[in-house]
Amino acid sequence: MTDTAFTPREAEDALAAEYVLGVLDAAERAEVEARIRRDPAFAARVAEWEGRLSGLNDGFAEAPAPNLLPKIEARLFPKPVAARRFGLFGWLSGAAVATALSLVTVAILAPPRPMPVATLATADNRLAYRVTHFGGSLQVNRVAGVPAVPGQVHELWVIAPGAAPVSLGLLQDRPLVVSYPVPPAGFVLAVSIEPEGGSPTGAPTGPVILTAEIGA
Amino acid sequence: MDDPVADLITKCAAGDRAAFRTLYRVSSAKLMGVLLRMLRERAEAEDALQEVYTRVWLRAGRYDPAKGRGMSWLIAITRNLAIDRLRARPEAHSDDGLDSVQDATPRAETRLVAQSEARRMADCFGTLDPDKAEAVRGAYLNGLSYLDLAARHAVPLNTMRTWLRRSLLKLKECLDA
Repeated sequence: MTDTAFTPREAEDALAAEYVLGVLDAAERAEVEARIRRDPAFAARVAEWEGRLSGLNDGFAEAPAPNLLPKIEARLFPKPVAARRFGLFGWLSGAAVATALSLVTVAILAPPRPMPVATLATADNRLAYRVTHFGGSLQVNRVAGVPAVPGQVHELWVIAPGAAPVSLGLLQDRPLVVSYPVPPAGFVLAVSIEPEGGSPTGAPTGPVILTAEIGA
Repeated sequence: MDDPVADLITKCAAGDRAAFRTLYRVSSAKLMGVLLRMLRERAEAEDALQEVYTRVWLRAGRYDPAKGRGMSWLIAITRNLAIDRLRARPEAHSDDGLDSVQDATPRAETRLVAQSEARRMADCFGTLDPDKAEAVRGAYLNGLSYLDLAARHAVPLNTMRTWLRRSLLKLKECLDA
């Protein structure tokens, strides 16, 4: 069959449609996604196709989903591990300590290896935090500089592309350990200066002093 | 138009966690249906569902109710994630289970006719050759790639691509008319 040439405009539109339809391979999809990020006119075409084809959505039947909210919320709204561990020890009875000790032994026998995630540092390296991923948690160590002045605190945030920052916790004297998956490329980690106790609003209120993009 | 899902997404953008829980309650069955149909594996679908709602919360600020229904936005995020996962799978995947999934399409089509927007969709699909209409539907609902479609329709990949591109542009002409 002979291929009738498409006009450039038609070819663009067809590419946006192919992307929404999902028929492209992984490499082509990645190219189109890069284009969506840098070319608002093209992004608008993609959005138009999403609207056009949404009439097919009735073809998806509903299927009961298990309640995954606790897992999702644990991922989105992490609690510092240190606080939880403290609570756990208070709760343990003497009889359970033996079990706990054997669990500790197992953990020592098969230690997870820390994986570097990012380093947040000032240009002159006078303040730097190193972020690693370790056994299902992010661990943040200060490798240069000092904590914030009394009355203030450094707060760590994770920012998904285009989304609002989510707090991961406060950076004080001890390393921060927070249950969190490995942040994907394109996510940004940032440190802001907040009043003692952390941001009162749930969003950064003070100056952002350090940032690092994952995979950059 | 009344769109409770859109309202909930807007509240999520403002950091309302209670709205997020309600959103999960009212939309997770539909999104689970999308993931089960496209990924065809329950364990992976459940894992993907967690990822979907994580993205929904993080991206809620980018949702614009003027540009589309809330549920359409949720399904677009879900389909994109499912397609990325399908394309990341090793190439030689079996067609197991696909045929039974395809059998469900005519019934879905009957349901389509119930709504005017969807009826318009069905009318425009009627202007396409039946095998090309099926290729578009198969890609959208089952996540088929050009490679899968070419194999199913026993044509070279480039031929499939030209067919599908023409069909999509024809579909657009009809839907936008």
